[in-house]
Formats: sequence, C-alpha cells, structure tokens
Amino acid sequence: MMTLIRREVLDNLMTFRFAAAVFITLLLVVANTIVLLKDYEQRFTAYNRGVKESHQRLRKEKTYSNYHEKLVVHRPPNPLGIFNLGLDKRIGNKINVYHAFVPTLWDAEKHESDNPFLNLFTSMDIVLVFQGVLSLLALIFAYDALAGERERGTLRLVLTHPIRRAHILLAKYISAMLCLLAPLLISLLLSITMLTTSTAISLNTDEFLRIGGIILTSFLYLSLFYLIGMCISALTPRTSTALMLSMFAWGFLVLVYPNLILTIVEIRPKPEAQASAYNQIKQMWEELDRENKRLLRNDAILGPLSRNGEGWGFYVKGSEYTFGESEDKPSILLYFFQTGFYAGKIGAESESQVPHLQNYYRFYNRATVNTVQRTWLVRKPALAAIYIQPANLGRMLLKFSPVGLYDAATEAWAGTNLAGIQDFFRAVQRYRLAVLDYFNDEKIFESRQWFAADQGTADWNALPQFSFRRSDTGINAKRALPDILLLFTMNVVLFTAILLIFIKSEV
Amino acid sequence: MIWHIAKREIYDNLNSLRFALTTVLLLSLMLTNAVVQLREHPKRIQEYRDGVAKYQNRLATHAADSLYKLAEQGPGNLYKKPSPLHFCAEGGEVFLSAYAQGSYHRWGAGTLESFWILAYPSVNPNLYNIRPNVAKVDWNFIIGYVLSLVALLFTFDAISIERERGTLRLMLANSISRHTVLIGKFLGALISISIPFTLAVLINLLVISTSSNIHLNIEAWERLGIIYFIALLYTCLFLGLGLFVSARVQRSAVSLVVLLFIWTTLVVFMPSTLASIANGLSSSPMSYDEFRKRSSQLEDELDELWDKYYAHSDDTPEDLREQIRWGGEIVTRDAKQQEQLHGDQLNQQITQMNRARAITRISPVSIFQHLLESFAGTGFERHLQFLENVKSHARQFRIFIADIDKADPESLHIFGVREGMSQKPVNPEAIPKFQDTLSLSRDFNGAAMDLLLLTLFCIVLLSGAYLAFVRVEV
Repeated sequence: MMTLIRREVLDNLMTFRFAAAVFITLLLVVANTIVLLKDYEQRFTAYNRGVKESHQRLRKEKTYSNYHEKLVVHRPPNPLGIFNLGLDKRIGNKINVYHAFVPTLWDAEKHESDNPFLNLFTSMDIVLVFQGVLSLLALIFAYDALAGERERGTLRLVLTHPIRRAHILLAKYISAMLCLLAPLLISLLLSITMLTTSTAISLNTDEFLRIGGIILTSFLYLSLFYLIGMCISALTPRTSTALMLSMFAWGFLVLVYPNLILTIVEIRPKPEAQASAYNQIKQMWEELDRENKRLLRNDAILGPLSRNGEGWGFYVKGSEYTFGESEDKPSILLYFFQTGFYAGKIGAESESQVPHLQNYYRFYNRATVNTVQRTWLVRKPALAAIYIQPANLGRMLLKFSPVGLYDAATEAWAGTNLAGIQDFFRAVQRYRLAVLDYFNDEKIFESRQWFAADQGTADWNALPQFSFRRSDTGINAKRALPDILLLFTMNVVLFTAILLIFIKSEV
Repeated sequence: MIWHIAKREIYDNLNSLRFALTTVLLLSLMLTNAVVQLREHPKRIQEYRDGVAKYQNRLATHAADSLYKLAEQGPGNLYKKPSPLHFCAEGGEVFLSAYAQGSYHRWGAGTLESFWILAYPSVNPNLYNIRPNVAKVDWNFIIGYVLSLVALLFTFDAISIERERGTLRLMLANSISRHTVLIGKFLGALISISIPFTLAVLINLLVISTSSNIHLNIEAWERLGIIYFIALLYTCLFLGLGLFVSARVQRSAVSLVVLLFIWTTLVVFMPSTLASIANGLSSSPMSYDEFRKRSSQLEDELDELWDKYYAHSDDTPEDLREQIRWGGEIVTRDAKQQEQLHGDQLNQQITQMNRARAITRISPVSIFQHLLESFAGTGFERHLQFLENVKSHARQFRIFIADIDKADPESLHIFGVREGMSQKPVNPEAIPKFQDTLSLSRDFNGAAMDLLLLTLFCIVLLSGAYLAFVRVEV
C-alpha cells in the first residue's frame, strides 16, 4: 500500500501539470491577495475615519432631539473577506440609530460613495480562484487515473500481484490528494503571511481557526472534484473521452450551471405583498399622527400656537424654527415621522410653554417608540419575505453544484454570509434598545435639553457605547456545518460508487 | 488540398463527443438567453415608456404655466432608451442610471428659486441586494466564456495527437506543405465550431423575433451581423492559441493543461484583477464629502451678490430693476457653477473608469466584451453616449428658452427671476423633445480600436501557430 502511494506521489510530482498547477495557483492567489489587501486597507481607513467623524458630529449637537443622522454606527470590514468577500463589501456599512425606526440591513448606507461605475467590474476573492483553478486541477489529475492505466495495461500488471482493488483506489486517491494539497496549502500560507505583515489586520486565534475551517472546506471541495474526475475515468474506456467529459463537466458545474439556474428561475417578490405591508405601516403612523393632532388641539397652551392643529410643528417664541418631516421609502418598507427643534434659547414669553412642551414630548416620543414596535411586527416578516427568502432560495439552487456548496460554506466560515452580516445589524438593534433604555432612565425624552440648549446642553458622553464582536468560531462552524456535511456525504457516495464500478469492471 | 484536410477534420469532429456536447450546451444556453429576453424586455420597454410619458406631461404642465416656470424647472428626467439587443450584452445596466436628472432644484429664498441643473444620479442596487452574485447568461457570457473554452477543446490536440500517432509524419511525407496542413486544420476546427454556434444563434434569434414585443429593425440586424462576425473573430483567436500551444507541446495532455491554465488566467481572472489593480493605482475621484464641501464653498462665493440683492428693495421701479438684475445674476451663476461641479465629479469618475477599462484590454475577453457592448448598445460606452445626448439636449433646451424670451417684447430679458422673464405660456409642441439616439457609425468609430486590437491578437496568435508549426520537429 505504502509503495503504491509512494509510486503515485512521485509519478504525479514529476509531471508538468503539477508544476503548472503550483505556478498558476500561486500567481493568481498572490496577485489577488495584494489587490484584496489594499482594498481591505482602504475600507478599514474609511471605517476609522467614519467612526471618528460621527463621534465628532454627534458631540456638536446641543439638544438631544437632533441626534437623528448624527448617532451613526459603522460596520468594520471583515479581514476574512479576503478569502471570501461574500456580502461584506456590497451591503451598506453605516447606519443611523434613532428611536423612530428599527435599523435593518436595508437602512444602511455606504461610508463613501466612491466611483459608482466601478460596480461594473466583478470582485475577486481567493475562494473564487480556488473554485475555478483547483477544481480544474483536480479533474486534470484524475482523468487518466484509471483509464490511463487501463490503456497502458499497467493496471492489469498491478492486479497480478496480490493487491486488493480497493487498496489501489485508495492509494491513488491519497497520493493525488497529497499532491493537490501542495498548491492549496502553499498559496494559502503565502497569503496568510501577507495578511500578517499588513498593519491593518491583526488576526487572533479565533480567526486562525476560521481560516482552518476554510482550508478544510477547500480540501473537501478539491476531493469532490477529484472523485468526479475519477468516476468519469472509471466509466470511460479511453483517456481522451474521459478528458473531454471531465472538461465539459467542469464547464457545466463551475461556469454554466450557477449562471444558468439563476437566470432561468426568476425569483422576484410579489409587489402586492410589499405594497400591503407598506400601507399597514403607513396606517400605524397616520394613527399616531391623528392622536398627536388631537392632543395638540386639546392643549390649552400649545394648541392655539400650533398651525391650526394641522401642521407638524408648533411655534415657540425664541426658537429658530420648528420642523417635522416624514421619511418615506416604500421599497424597504420604511416610513416614520421625525420632529425636532433647533432651539438655542427659548424666549421669556414662551417660558410658560416649557412644561407643556416637556409633557408633550414625553407623550409623543413614547408613542413613537410604541408605534415603531408595532410596525416592526409587520416590517420584519415582510422584509424576510421580500428580500431574505428569495436570496435563500437562490443560494439553495446554487447548492446543487459543488461550487455553490463550497462558496456557501467558506462564506459561513469567514462570516461574510447573510447570517454574519445580520449579526451586526442585530447588534445595532440591541444598541438602539440600550440607547432607548438610557433615554428612559435619564428621562431624556421629557427633559428640557430635548429641545432647548439654554439651560444645560445634551451630555453625549454618558450615552452607552456601541460595540460589535463577531460571532464565535463555534457559531460559524454551526452555520457552515450543513454544507460541509453535504460536501462530505457527496465525497463518500462518489468514492463508494467508484469503488463499486472499479471492482466490477473488466481490466 | 487545404479543403481536403479541412473536410477530413470536419468529418472527424462531427462524430466526436465534444461536438455533441458543444451542440447541447450552446443550444441550451442560447434558448435560455432568448426566453429570458422575452420575459425581461417588455418590462424594460414599459419602464422607458412610463418615464417618457411622465417627462412629456411635466413639460406640458410647465409650458402651460409660463416660460419662466419652464426655464426654472428644466426639461425633467431624461430617459435612456433601452436597446433591443440587450440579450447580446447585458453590460451591467443595473449599475448604470436609466436617466439623467434635468430638474435638480436646490433652494428657494423668498421669491428667488434656484434654476435647474443637470445632475447624474448614481444607482447602487447592491445596497439592498443580498442575493448570490452571478453573471447573466447573455451572448457575452456564452461566447466570451463558453465558446472560447470550446475552441480550445477543439484544437488542443490538433497537431500533438497526430504527432503522437505518427500520422503527421505520414502526411508530411507526401508533398503537402506544412502551412496547408495548418490552414486545413484551422479551417476544419473553425467550421466545426461554427456549425453548432450558428445553429444556436439562429434558434435564439428565431425565438426572439417571434415575439411581438421585440421589434428588430434593419439596423439591429446589421448590428447582429457585426456581432456574429466579431464572435467568429474571437473564436479564431482561441483557435490560434490552441494550435500554437498544440504545435509547441509534445503531448496533447500537456497541451490541454497549458491551454486551460492560460484560459482561466486570461478569461476568468484577468479582467477583474486588472481592473482592481488599475483602480488601486489611479487617483480616486471626488468623494461625496469633498463634493459637498466644494458645493457649499461655491455657494459662499455668492454671498457678495446676495448682499447686493438685499440692498435693493421694490420701493422704486429703478430699485426693483436692480434687485431683479442681482437676483438673476445669483440664480444664473449658481446654476452654472453647480452644474459645472456635477459635471466635474462625473468626468473624474469616467476618467477613472476609462483607465481601468483600458488596462483590462490586455485580456481578450474584455476586448470582446467592450465590442459586444458597443454594438449591442448597452454598457458603459453606451452610457457615455447617452450622457453626451443629454448634454447636447440641455444646451438645445437653454437656447430654446432664450429664443422664446427674446421674442417676447414684454420681457425684461433677465434670466433667473420671474419678473425679469417672459410670463406667457409656451406652446408645448414647440419645445425640443429629448431623443436618445443610437447610431451605428458612431458605435463603429468607438469600437474601432477594440476591433483592431482583437484582429491584432488574432493575427499574432495565428502567425505564432504557423511559425511554431513550421519549425517543429516531426
């Protein structure tokens, strides 16, 4: 057995295809790592700049009510995006925290609107290189594994010795995998070395574990393609036919199928569902609006000053101006009102209004928070139905090809898949609740500082700080596990199938 | 003799497995492409028509009000006409705005209103898109990726297998010159690939032309003819590459390995990697923050004029006239400056993009993509043409306003202020309408460089194959 493996390894190592494989993989991986690293560093600087700017902008505000679009949370770029970029670069990385809406993935924006035309180019990552090159390599190693020996007659020669066929197969498999691992590991090690030398990235143990997961998945993917090639090789009598079939199989699985299936299957949400959810949300806000106007009309002090109880604001003498606006985005089911003041100093004649105003804001802000909670019950399932379900269906369809499985599993390890991105937005949602708790505890909604800055200004330093930690490796592993298991099962099934075919076949 | 060898090659190929698989693959891809086009195209047309209808209604409403209103509000959103040949090259149209904004209104102060300027909205559907990222199955994909791979699979063993079997020596022992053999082999492979490809193209076009929604006019057919020719040229390029490597390398298996690695590098990885490198090297365009800063700087520069404007009031007719004059000055200068700024930002973005596109031309698949987009009337090059059309329409629109105003004797001919301009309604028929035109000759001029480059690549590889084959030991 060992002799067989040794013979096969030596045979493979000496070939031209091995040298070519190592060279090409190294070249592509190194070139892409350099580009991706630079891109990561740029995004990291933009992130740091963004965090700093938001911090300063918030502190310039003197009243609490003006924190809309000033309390901004940023999503740091994921260093493992170099391996699989996933959604990391695509989805917005800057989001407002405000009491009048629950922040979701679709409310996020980009740090800097850089050149929008550059979206025309597709982005690269290391997993994509492996997807294309390693699978091709595995097939090239496999196509003549059995057919070649049969053609040359060496198979018959080997079988005259008292060796079991299963052992021959296993020896071939192990030796080929050893050879295939070389380009995979060498290129990955090189790119990891380049990562560690970068100043923007500091990898911790957790991240190394995740890279380990990516390597494991790559290994399974590689092995699967080797087995596909071997299966073809076992089924066809001639190497040239095996080669041709392997190449077409590769073209179909890697190149054609993913694009074809998502072009054929049109997954589009129903516009009616979107419209009905949006109308429900809008109605809830209009209810709040009516309640608000009723209150203003009945208020002896604020009422007469309000614009006939129709408009959104009321005049307070001495304030610069009042405002009320609504945010209206049907495509992401977002609708809310915002009101506020830019009041530096409240005039003496308006001083009698202040207790009423405080009272009013206590009611209004709490009612807003309640309304948000109610709309969220509609918005959350609607967003899932409109955006998440079609995306998941598309991903599931892709998983019929090993390429899709590999992509999904490595994305899960890297934490750049949908679940990984959602982790961040869930953290933002928790942060919003923490801010609301703080506002409630400190009675900020009904404080004078909510709308006026003449007697003490807003204190932003006491506000809870946002922090986001990526999920544990355990959770990543759990997310990647189904796909890895599927890959593994496919490996086992194919190996058994090849074994059966090989044992039954005539030499 | 050439024909004899070619015929033998064709017969050989017709019976082979690769021919059958190629036919099935190309037919299924082309059929999918046609079906998707039938499904998607009516929606695009509908969107365009809705946009144009809105544009015309808006113009008519403002024209009925007064010339001033029309001059202040501008022509409105100008829509890009969708190409009927969208199925040839999808061109990343989702990332390119479907219209230019000719109504961007920025401020109002008292009776003064800012005038419209041309703005170029950018679209980023990626922000909401959490779906897996895949390429659309268009001709660009089918030919650029699949057909090029097929071309290599047809030629990788053309010479090496004959050498392995020893038939090459046999053939050359007769009085057949080497170039005859090579040309025969080349023609054989080209014709063998053209058969399934042409079949697939014909079926694709048949399905598409049966639909009543998609009207292909004579120009579209001309464009399709050019695209077909370019596809063959592109195939020749890969055939040349295949023959070259096949002649240089001793064994056909090695030849295939070399070819496949060259192919993955050139076709799959090079375009995006090169683009990223190019973008990393070139200076990035004006960022959003910088843009905002410059915009407010320009507004601050108008402060002096505002002081002069506020120094006058409508107490006396002369005073009022002065005020109108300064008001007009503010509005026109502001519009001019801001439009210039928007144009600058756009130009910087375009410059960066053009540089990246120039560098990706090292890869033949990028050249092919550019060519296909040019002739299909989609993609970046087409977007630039659309922007040119928009700019020339904006000029035309402004000249029209000035002419009408001049014709009105009651007008003071001071632009920018209601009191200074003609108040009469305008005949909506007389307003120049925006027409987004596509012209084949212009596309041809734009694509000439790419076409030459592709031909050059093709000639280099074919002569390389010839030289390699002439010098080879049999």
